[in-house]
Amino acid sequence: MGAKQKGGGSKPKANTADEVEDTLQAVVLADTFEPRFEPFTLDKPRCLLPLANTPIIEYTLEFLANAGVEEVFLYAGAHSDLLEKYINASKWRAASSPFKQFTFLKSTSASVGDVMRDLDGKHLITGDFIVVSGDVISNMPIEGALTKHRARREKDKNAIMTMVLREAGRNHRTKSSSVSPVFVIDPTKDRCLHYEEIDHHSDEGPARVNIDTEILLTTPELDIRQDLIDCSIDICTPDVLSLWSDSFDYQSPRKHYLFGVLKDYELNGKTIHTHIIKEDYAARVRNLKAYDAVSKDIISRWTYPLCPDTNLLPGHTYALRKSNLYQEQGVTLARSCVIGRRTVIGKGTSIGDKTTVRDTVLGRNCKIGRGVKLEGAYIWDGVTIGDNTSVTGAIIADGVVIGKNCSVAAGALLSYAVKIADGIAVEAGKRITKSRRDGSEAITDAKVVGADGEGREFIQGEDDDEDDDDDISVASSGLVYRNPEASLSSASISTLSSEMSDGSWPHSARSSFSDAEEQDNFHHDASVSIFDSLRDGVTADVVQLELVSLRMTANASDNQVRRAIVSSFMKYITQLMEGGKNAGVAVHDVFSTYREVVDRTLFDRNKDQKKDQVDFLLQLQMDLVHRSKGSNVLLFAAKELYELELVDEEAYEQWWNDERSSESEEMRNVRAQAQQFVEWLANAEEESSEEDEEEDDDDDEEESDDE
Amino acid sequence: MPSTALALTPGLSSFLKSLKTNPIDTSIENLVSLLKRRQIRHSRSCATATAYLLLRVVSACRTSESTKLIERVQSVGRRLMAAQPREMVVGNIVRRVLGLIRDEAEDDREAEFALSEAGSESQPQTPRAFDDASMPLDRDMLGMRSDGGDRSSRPPLTSMFSLLSHPEPENSLPSTPGSQSPNARLFSHGHTKDVRAEVLEGINEIIDELGQVDDQIAAYALDHIHSNEIILTHTSSTTVQKFLLKAAAKRKFTVIIAESFPNNHEATHATVSGNIVGDDENLSFDSFQKPLIAHGITVILIPDSAVFALMSRVNKVILGTHSVLANGGLVAAAGTRVIARAAKVHQTPVVVVSGVYKLSPVYPFDFDSLIEYGDASKVLPFEDGDLVDKIDVQNPIYDYVPAELVDLYITNLGGHAPSYLYRIVSDHYRKEDISF
Repeated sequence: MGAKQKGGGSKPKANTADEVEDTLQAVVLADTFEPRFEPFTLDKPRCLLPLANTPIIEYTLEFLANAGVEEVFLYAGAHSDLLEKYINASKWRAASSPFKQFTFLKSTSASVGDVMRDLDGKHLITGDFIVVSGDVISNMPIEGALTKHRARREKDKNAIMTMVLREAGRNHRTKSSSVSPVFVIDPTKDRCLHYEEIDHHSDEGPARVNIDTEILLTTPELDIRQDLIDCSIDICTPDVLSLWSDSFDYQSPRKHYLFGVLKDYELNGKTIHTHIIKEDYAARVRNLKAYDAVSKDIISRWTYPLCPDTNLLPGHTYALRKSNLYQEQGVTLARSCVIGRRTVIGKGTSIGDKTTVRDTVLGRNCKIGRGVKLEGAYIWDGVTIGDNTSVTGAIIADGVVIGKNCSVAAGALLSYAVKIADGIAVEAGKRITKSRRDGSEAITDAKVVGADGEGREFIQGEDDDEDDDDDISVASSGLVYRNPEASLSSASISTLSSEMSDGSWPHSARSSFSDAEEQDNFHHDASVSIFDSLRDGVTADVVQLELVSLRMTANASDNQVRRAIVSSFMKYITQLMEGGKNAGVAVHDVFSTYREVVDRTLFDRNKDQKKDQVDFLLQLQMDLVHRSKGSNVLLFAAKELYELELVDEEAYEQWWNDERSSESEEMRNVRAQAQQFVEWLANAEEESSEEDEEEDDDDDEEESDDE
Repeated sequence: MPSTALALTPGLSSFLKSLKTNPIDTSIENLVSLLKRRQIRHSRSCATATAYLLLRVVSACRTSESTKLIERVQSVGRRLMAAQPREMVVGNIVRRVLGLIRDEAEDDREAEFALSEAGSESQPQTPRAFDDASMPLDRDMLGMRSDGGDRSSRPPLTSMFSLLSHPEPENSLPSTPGSQSPNARLFSHGHTKDVRAEVLEGINEIIDELGQVDDQIAAYALDHIHSNEIILTHTSSTTVQKFLLKAAAKRKFTVIIAESFPNNHEATHATVSGNIVGDDENLSFDSFQKPLIAHGITVILIPDSAVFALMSRVNKVILGTHSVLANGGLVAAAGTRVIARAAKVHQTPVVVVSGVYKLSPVYPFDFDSLIEYGDASKVLPFEDGDLVDKIDVQNPIYDYVPAELVDLYITNLGGHAPSYLYRIVSDHYRKEDISF
């Protein structure tokens, strides 16, 4: 490898000829918007989790420095404050950093797609750039791939992206096992023709890949490969970003973007290429299984020189002993303890008599008692383990205390500062945490951690079920609507959704019955997202943008959009009123702030039959049937809509006369209070009909001119 | 400026380029991370980078006091050595620069004594009179070292002489801290020459030496390689290649090269066939030299495992090295020890060619700590998932070869027996710098 790197570094001709070339930029996606490291990610961003005692992000940045990248844009997601603090204190921000420019970007993005679109909007990218996720471990020199990429670009402007893939046989610990990517590649041109992900956990019978017949007919040679590690290192041209921007609904870089761009080849003519490496190491810590595998790879020196004894962080003093034992200075080992193979031990850790340690990573300042058995465990900093306890294949986070005579079985995850009392057996695969999604401390569950313990079991999706409306951290981090079953946490949202699906909508103009489910999904996603935005006080533009993207994704009708808006607005207004606000004020606040959003759903301003407006009012009415003080809110809402010129007088009239608005007792009750307003409207209209009409006509003319 | 399309990966050349523009602390940090990332490796690259960096450090250090200069160089040196302790040349270069500074400081002192002697003869300084006599000679040697091998017969002589003066460092040791620094300062007032300037000159000499060392060593080739001999060698070491090429110009012989799989076989193949991919270290020299075969030399490439079988026919083994240790042992590319061992069995002489800059004053108490373990995927392909999961793969890059397996060292100063190396060590490094 060294020879190769140097080979690249020593061509004087290239040096002079390419001095004009742009600096190499890289985008690091610190958050990949996948809840795969829970419960640890409740307290820390995933890229700061230690991998063989070094934060994951260090490896990624080291890789970029290795590749000669000069400008780095780091996109943080959840816990961006922690990450920023870490980065600011690190060597990457120091004057001696190999990066000339290191930009830390925070975003409220909810997916990789949002980040890319945000990046496109910021116009930071000047030339070809590398996109890596913040959990890539690689010792690959990138120049091979980059040269090929540039050569292809020279020939064909449409070759927009090169993905780096590592060949890895049929079975490999570092490959992902649950979802395996399938690449269909034209080996003569290294071009990726088709991409699909096979989910091994799905119940849909044998996995299949659908390849377009066109591809089969036009390409004489075709590789269909499933033996590749997708290390998510992409070399992109700026065109990639604009393609992201063009498609609102793309969220993940592979499943949506790659798949979509390849599928639309006829349309946009863009090609995506692959660079398959057979040497060097490249992998991603995509989930806990990969965490285990990559840790092993690092300790077994597959990632050389990114090994513990390289001491990436200043202050680390690891030295390699025989049989892949890495030990820092200042480790206290009892005379009779046995330290086996593939072990990393950090500074200040002490290990007691007759303890055996094997295949284990031990952080700094851990206290391991006597007669302890550690096998295949990942133990982070400051952990205390009592005498005669055994830990096998578990991850134990900072500051955990495990009592005497305990056993922690494989796959157990003990999050920060959990305490396990003496004699407790932690079952396989159990996750125990002290914190909740909102950052507050969870109530201790003595059944899980024992009488003196601290912590409770963490169950994905069911966490915080006794909690009320105040936790929004996950909702706002955007996990909710992309992954409803995994992280639907807040009661408010669940009730919202149940309300929606319970409510009967006899009049909604559904086009067909078969896609009812999809529409339900849209309704749920959209209303939750709007509701969150309202609560977070996001501006109308953003709400609008989000809504449009959701609508595009689900191909939802205007009617559905209105329904979603109404239900989320009303939900929020009700909440405001419960908080002590006057109905009128609440209605005014919401509608005046988000006038734009409502306005964009009403398209019948120039028509006589105000179908959309009537529909909106009807939705409003129906929604308020189930809410307290519904009639009161309806009156204020009607007034507000009129004052904001969202709904015209004729629409009120048509609504009032519509038989749907008075078909049931409930409906009639709810609109009772609005009657006076409608009557007043009718009178006022008659009085000032002439002037109004003139003005209206003017408006109409202008608008029709525009069209 | 590693912003070019091809020369993307930072390395020695990009480091040397950036050295001129970057502030000094950035450069230090830069070299530390380059060493850590193994982007600068192999003895000569490390030595060159270190020497250039120290050149900058010394010239940026705005002090004429030698003690401060020593402290500064020591602190930089410690960081560089901690970054990659197995590249021992880094430490060697730092020690030599420290020695330079001390020599200059003492020089000043001497001259100052000459001044003060006229006034009053101070009693405690009497042993230094002896020093006065030896110092000019030593300095003369220093200058000569860089001149090259033509005066190769001299060093043993000086060394014999300095054998007598062996207590000299001890004498100077107690006098270093206290009384001298004011003297030195006083002196530097009166003298036009600055300690720093002298030291910079010395470092430049070291850099020159690094550039010439292979040619100097090659100058001895004809003394050691005779017609129709069969020579066995290992790896693609430039020093060895130059040595053989020099002999090939005059004589006909046969060379057997063990391919040194897996860490160096590609480079070795390239060397044999003559398609040398420009390596950093030989770029500055004539890297497009004709390969041995072009000189009409029979070159046989063999796998490492065939070494023992062929050893009975070999007349001489010539080895390159990573670094040479004070006890006469050496750390060289993995596989070297097997070759040396086989040579011992067959009573074949083993000659090691190495620049003096690779000679380290470190005594190898713990051999294991000197050996770097490399990328496991060179031994077992990473895609073999089943095996990767189940077995441990180790790929040591270096071997330790004990002194008794080596018959002769050829350095740029001439040929030495392994047992004699300690002498060269004490000629080049000051005792107080050996463990700093």
